[in-house]
Amino acid sequence: MKYILNYIRKDEWSPYVAGILLGLVGIGAVWASDSLLGASGAFENIAGMIGKWIAPAAFDNMYFNFIMPPGISYGVLMLIGLFFGGMIGAATSGTLLWGKKGAANSDAQWKRIFGPQVWKRWVLAFIGAIILEYAAGIAGGCTSGLAISGGMLLAPAAFLFIMGMFASGILTALIIYRKNY
Amino acid sequence: MTTVVLPLVFGVFFGFALNKAGLTKYHKIVNVFRFTDLAVLKFMMTALVVSMSGLYALRGLGLIEFPNVPATYIVGNLVGGLIFGVGMALTGY
Repeated sequence: MKYILNYIRKDEWSPYVAGILLGLVGIGAVWASDSLLGASGAFENIAGMIGKWIAPAAFDNMYFNFIMPPGISYGVLMLIGLFFGGMIGAATSGTLLWGKKGAANSDAQWKRIFGPQVWKRWVLAFIGAIILEYAAGIAGGCTSGLAISGGMLLAPAAFLFIMGMFASGILTALIIYRKNY
Repeated sequence: MTTVVLPLVFGVFFGFALNKAGLTKYHKIVNVFRFTDLAVLKFMMTALVVSMSGLYALRGLGLIEFPNVPATYIVGNLVGGLIFGVGMALTGY
């Protein structure tokens, strides 16, 4: 028991242990509520809700009416849980940086490559997140919603997505890191 | 009631697992593309293998039905993946 408690407090688990936990959660989600894990769809549900409110004409299309209907969906609730789950994870290992100085740009490797400025982190995170969400919209899911949840149902879409993700991810990392790759 | 609580609970465990595996950190995500730290791959593939075998076993026993399997559009999935990788390597999310 003490060993387990100490393990929970560890900052970095073995990826295999964390993977088993995620796998069990994935099974649980299908078993108990007949749904898949996912994160990116929730943002589109929320965006659709805001869009329908601000500019109903622009959001009155196929995508937001049928494919990603706006509203508080299963995914939105899961996203809320996800946020707090991550916080709990960081809090149990004592690495929660909420409200602390330099929390927005705390990754040592990021600072080495891009510089210590906080605004750079915000700008790149914003641009990168637009790219991520747009791509997730095209592919039909993100790493969790398509690659993991689709992969566990052996959906071909998931493996195509993983292929594309790694091909361009490696390329982008090559360009960013150049000599340091 | 369960329709609200269940996704929240699953979300909490999901986020907890991601955090403990280190997937909330920029260097973990980028280093998998540099092949210096394969934790992301180990994590993803372990989760896949566990849930895959669990789900197919449960379906074999007739305990569950599969939800809608994500649709396959070869071009869409591939192009989406290609753009996604760029964002992933840039931000580390």
